[in-house]
This record gives sequence, structure tokens and C-alpha cells, in this order.
Amino acid sequence: MSDTAGNGAVLVVGGGISGITAALEAAEVGKDVFLIEKNSYFGGRVAQLNQYFPKLCPPTCGLEINFKRIKDNRRIRTYTLTTVKSIAGEPGNFDVQLETAPRYINANCTACGDCIPACSEEIDDAYNFGMKKTKAVYLPHEMAFPRRFVLDKDACSAESLEAIQTACKYNAVDLGMQAKTFTVKVSSIIWSTGWNPYDAKKIANLKIESSPAVITNMMMERLAAENGPTQGKILRPGDHKEPESFAFVQCAGSRDENHLEYCSSVCCGATFKHISYIRNQYPEAKIYVFYIDLRTPGKYEKFRAKYMADANATFIKGKVADIVDERDGGVTVVAEDAVTGSKVHQKVDLCILATGMEPALGTTGKALGVTMDGNGFIVPEPEKGMMAAGCAKSAVDVYTSGQSSTAAALKAIQIGR
Amino acid sequence: MSMNVQPDLEFIRAMKEAGGDTLKKCYQCATCSVACPLSSDGNPFPRREMILAQWGQKDKLITDPNVYLCHQCGDCTEICPRGARPGEVLGAIRAYAYKALSWPTALADLCSSAKNLPLLIGIPAAVIFVFWLISGGMHIPSTEKFANVGYGHFFGHWDFRWLSKNVLFIDIIFLSAVAIAVISLYKGVTKLWSGMVATLDNKDVAYRPSVVQFVKLFLWPALVEIVKHNRFKECTVNTDRVKGHLPLVLGFIGLFIVTIYSAFTQDVIGIFIPSMHGPISMWNPIKLLANVSAIAMIVGIGILWMNRTKMEAEGRASNTFYDWFFIWVIMAVGVTGMLAQVLRLIGIPSLGYISYYLHLVSVLMLFLYLPYTKFAHIIYRTFAMAFERYRESSFVRNPLND
Repeated sequence: MSDTAGNGAVLVVGGGISGITAALEAAEVGKDVFLIEKNSYFGGRVAQLNQYFPKLCPPTCGLEINFKRIKDNRRIRTYTLTTVKSIAGEPGNFDVQLETAPRYINANCTACGDCIPACSEEIDDAYNFGMKKTKAVYLPHEMAFPRRFVLDKDACSAESLEAIQTACKYNAVDLGMQAKTFTVKVSSIIWSTGWNPYDAKKIANLKIESSPAVITNMMMERLAAENGPTQGKILRPGDHKEPESFAFVQCAGSRDENHLEYCSSVCCGATFKHISYIRNQYPEAKIYVFYIDLRTPGKYEKFRAKYMADANATFIKGKVADIVDERDGGVTVVAEDAVTGSKVHQKVDLCILATGMEPALGTTGKALGVTMDGNGFIVPEPEKGMMAAGCAKSAVDVYTSGQSSTAAALKAIQIGR
Repeated sequence: MSMNVQPDLEFIRAMKEAGGDTLKKCYQCATCSVACPLSSDGNPFPRREMILAQWGQKDKLITDPNVYLCHQCGDCTEICPRGARPGEVLGAIRAYAYKALSWPTALADLCSSAKNLPLLIGIPAAVIFVFWLISGGMHIPSTEKFANVGYGHFFGHWDFRWLSKNVLFIDIIFLSAVAIAVISLYKGVTKLWSGMVATLDNKDVAYRPSVVQFVKLFLWPALVEIVKHNRFKECTVNTDRVKGHLPLVLGFIGLFIVTIYSAFTQDVIGIFIPSMHGPISMWNPIKLLANVSAIAMIVGIGILWMNRTKMEAEGRASNTFYDWFFIWVIMAVGVTGMLAQVLRLIGIPSLGYISYYLHLVSVLMLFLYLPYTKFAHIIYRTFAMAFERYRESSFVRNPLND
């Protein structure tokens, strides 16, 4: 098939749960779809979760069936490691220039893993937020789609690269691979660029770098996941202690003018989800949740009620504003309990910062002519052929992302018919 | 049943006028109480004060020691996630509280608004001018006489050795102002103290401290702490302020000593040794102390002036009459006093007399308005700091029970 799809083609930028959903919705009603993804794999943030709402499924559950639908649908063409370089034209008739970064591993790869022992360099495993190392030639994660290795060429020595190439039986290592620029003609664009966890290092008073006992909620997902750095056992990074007490710091960087001024909407629910992970492994552990308001609307209310009834879970109305490193490897979190009117100094083994969602597109979106609000969320403009879906549009859960993706697809298929 | 909610417009307006209208943005996350280096574990602030202010519970605020313990360093404002500026709000609450605690109300009202600035300057200016007219001293002296007596005959001169005419007039004007201020502050401190005592958990205190015990155990340690500026040094955001406040306080203490000394030597010893009247030699230790103190005061207030300008430019403090009036008055006292002395030394009687007149006006403003302006913090904060010690002492807490 050539790159000149017929009229009405849709470009979906971002291959997380929202982008996959929007791409499938558009393709399954007969539109040609280009689905591009910046990472080396599809699935986005959902792929990094241990379980996801509303039914606490493991990500394999929802993603696998969608990957299957993508594979079975000849109208969708997928591109990993690909970003948008420029957009020309008007609604119904866009020329979008895309660039695919070199993977250095071609389609011959069977993910056999023979290259792994040949590679002598290790890099931080980004999928696991650096809580584990991986070889510089690696499968992004166990259920990565496409199931193909990636080579971090810059991290490797010349000897190592040669050894990797020699180890591959399928001639899949292509060290000469270059970045490839190409143009697609589409009628509309759906931005489903998703979110990044807010950089906890920017929240100076919560001192995430002062102790390995301070982690983010996304790191907690990895710790609880069976394909994570601890094979699903929640252990304190660094010394691998089984934590006897946990503190959750809600609104870490959210609802805060100095950081993200909006409510990220999912972090309260995520914390209750994390309590459920903890309860599965540590039925007696002490849990302390520090919050401004607990926002678990609608279907999440019942879930919240269940864990608020837990005798070993304490809920303190007051935001943590200081964290002190302790000698035994734990930390003390400091807050004022607004109900009793006195300060709480709570010593815990593991402290989880409920960091929020920051729209991932950032300033590059502005340069491409995407309209964004003051917080970096995309303002959909169907009249300009630009739709937005999922967390690129607003901070929402998977369920709502799915709804907005379908809505975006419905708008997109009406353009350039 | 319908509910009729009457917003307390007077309180809202007062908050707004004193730069505290950001209080409505507060959503009670309590970050400020942890950020505040002065807030204690048992009685944290300013989160509680923020909601009391939102609810219009002004009576509780006026007698809340935390309101006065705040040094407005800005650590809480810096970290506040909503831009509610708790530090500024507490400053505004203090402005309101000084007004509410003091007497007479008319004078307190006058001092609370920039609109009254002409009157605030005009009244002391007129008082001094009228007294100058009725004293009969109303002329500019010759250069020789000026060199001899300085401003000693500003309100005229007579030969009654027990009380010089100048001293009589100065005393009538300034002792009256001081008397009003003392009565007002006495009433205010009494009201504040009984209100603070009412907030104690232990309502029935078995033994009250004697005056001597009170001074020794609570007031004196508070004064020592104030002079050392320990609490200012706790602040992390606005560290420049202590560089201004410390010389200013030391300058005030120096000038207080000088005033007491010269009142004693000139007005008491002067009765027996008339040569004690008139200007003191520049190399007299007390004169040196006076000049060093005056310079410290001018430099100190100058640093605070620049610091405040900078903070306002950066949007970290609001531009309020409450803050600026106090800075202006102290600057005026320092500059006019120094100018009057310089003009006496170089021998320009006319300009000297004008400077001296302005000096008297600004000093009168400082004394007369002390209980109603930001200057009142020197009394109310001191007593709040004494109360903080009292609250933790064995008079209130039973060490066997706690």
C-alpha cells in the first residue's frame, strides 16, 4: 500500500489507550488510519500500570484485544518511534511530515533474546522508571507491541555493537539505520498524546531525591506489577525492605499554582487502588493518607468507602508539606491535621507521592499549530480538522479516555469524506 | 425555612484595604502551617486563621496569639498552592486587630485608611504650629544664638529655673500623646490577654503569676528573644528583612536610652546646673550613642523600605497603606532629626527650624499613632510572645497530667 491514502484518512498521534481506541473506531467504519507513537511500543501509560480502572484489570486484558484488532485491520498502519515534524494544508487535505527515529533493529527480529548476553552495557529501564537496569538492547517490556527489540546505540561500545550484530541469527541488527522522514496525506488529525507523570523533583519540599523511600504513584504501579522490578512484590527501593507502614501524599504537585494548577482527577482513585495492592500483600500494614479533599466521584465512591473502613488505614485532612529522611531508611512526613488543628509527624517505611498528569505534547504542539489551554491541554477544533482525545485533552481516567476517543473518531470521520 | 446570611462587609473591606483579600482563595490544604518556621506542633498557624478569617470570626482572630506571633516572613506565601498569601492575610488581620483593640475608636479609624493621610499629617502639624504660636517663641533666632542654644528656645524662653519654657511645651504635647497611647495600649493589652487566656484548654488556672514572676518568667525572656531576632532568622524566603529590622530595633533602643538620659540631665539636673541645658558636645558619649542610633535607624528603615519595594515589584507583597505609613513615619523621624542637627552645626537657623518643626511633627505622629498603626506590633507581639511562654508554663499546664 502506498502512503497516499484516499480522502478521509485520519492521523492519530499517540498510541496509548486513547489513540488505539480512536484509531480502531475510525478504521472499523472504513477510514484509513495512520497511528503513530513516540515510544518504541504501543500501549502508553496503561501498559505501565499494574491494574487499571474501572474493573482493576491488568493492562494485558484491555490492550491485547486492541492490539489484535489493530493487527487484523488492514486500514490501520502503525509507526513506532515516530513524531510529527510539520503540518501543511487544511482540513480534508493535510500533508503531515512524520519522522521515524532509528530503532537499529529491523522487522526480522523475533524477540528471541540472543542479543542480550552479547550486549555488555546496561541502561536505566525507562519503562520501570529507572528502578531497574536493562541491557542496552532490550524488549521494552514483556508484552510490548510490536514485539521487537530496540537498540540504544549511543550507550554501546563498538565491540558490544559488533557482538550484538554477530549474536543475531536473523540479521535483524541494522547499525546503519537512519532517521526516516516521510509525508502522509490525511483529512483530519486526532491528538492523543497523553500525559507524563509530573516531575516530582520539581516539588522541592517533598524531597523525592532525599530518600529511596519516597516514590511516585506510577513507581508504585511498577512495584506492584508482576513484570516490574520486584516481580510484583511491594518492596522499598534500595534496601528491599518489606514496608510495615505507608504514607500517601495526595495532590503532590496538583491543584497547585506553583506546579499543576488543576486537579489531575485520577490520583485519589489511584491511591485507593494502591491500598488494595498493599492489602493483598500486607494485610496488617499501617496506611496513612494525607489529603486536601478525597475526590473519587461516581463509580469510585464505593471503592473508596471499602478502603476507608479499613481499621489500619488513617485518613488525615492536611497536605504533606515536608518530608524528612530518617536513618533507618524510612521517612517522616509532616502535615497539619486540619480537623484536630495540630501537626502530624508520621514516620513511615514507604512514602508514595500521588503526582498528577502533565499533558505530554508540551510546547512542540504550539509550534505545530495546535491550540492549547493555559495548562497545555489541547483544545479540540473540529472546524480546523484537529481533534483531541484522552489525557491530551483533559486529565481523566481510562474509561473517560475511551469515551473521548470515540467522540474524537466520530468527529474525524466526518472530515474529508 | 430560609436563611438570611449577612456578609460582614466591614471586616471584608478592612481585609481588602490591608492587602488580605487573597484570603478567599484558600482551600485549607494546610501547607502553610508546615511551611511556617514559627508555627508550633500543638498550635500551628496560619491555616486555622485563614478559615476563621473566611468565616468572619473576627473576635476569635483578635485574641488569637498566633496572629501576633507571625513575623510575616513570607515562607507560607511562597509555597501556597493557591496564591492565597497567608502571610499577607495575617498582616491584614493584625491591622484589623490593632484597630479593634485600641481606644479611642475615632483615632483608630483615622489611622486605618490612606484617605485620611492629610488629616494624619495635618493634625500633629497644626498642634505643634499652634503651640509654637501661643508659646511666643515664634521667631527664627540669630545665627549666634542658634549656635549657642540650638533648638532649646524653639518654644521660647523664660527665667523660671525649675522648668524651662521649652521643656514645658514639649512635655505638654508629647506626654499627652504618650498618655493617650499608654492608656490605649493598656486597654488593648488587657483585652488581648483576657481573650488569649479564654482560649486556653485549662480554664481554671490554680495560681496566677505575680507581676514579678510574670516579668521574670515570661516578659523578659520574650524581650531578649525579640532583640536577638531569633524568629526572623528562622525565615528562609525573606532573609534580608532581619538586616533592616535589627539595626532599626537597636537604633530605637539607643534613642530611647538617649531620650531618658537627656530628660533626666536637662530637666532634673538642669534645675541645679543650668549649663546642662542646650546642645551636648558631639564627642559626649551620649551624643555619640544618639548619632549612631539615629544612623542605625535610618539605615535600618532604608533597608526595609528597599526590601518592601522589591517584594512588591516581584508580586510577593501587596502595596498597603498599613505597611507604608509606618515606614514613612520612621523615615521622616530619622531624616528630619538628622537634618535638624546638621543644619544646627552648619548654622542655618531658618532651615534648621523648619527641619526641627517637621521632626517634632513626625515624632508626634509616631507616638500618637503607635497603638493604631503597624507600630503597635512592638507591644502586642511582645505580649503574645510572653503569652506563648505562659501557655506552656506550669501555671497553665500541670506537668503531672500532661
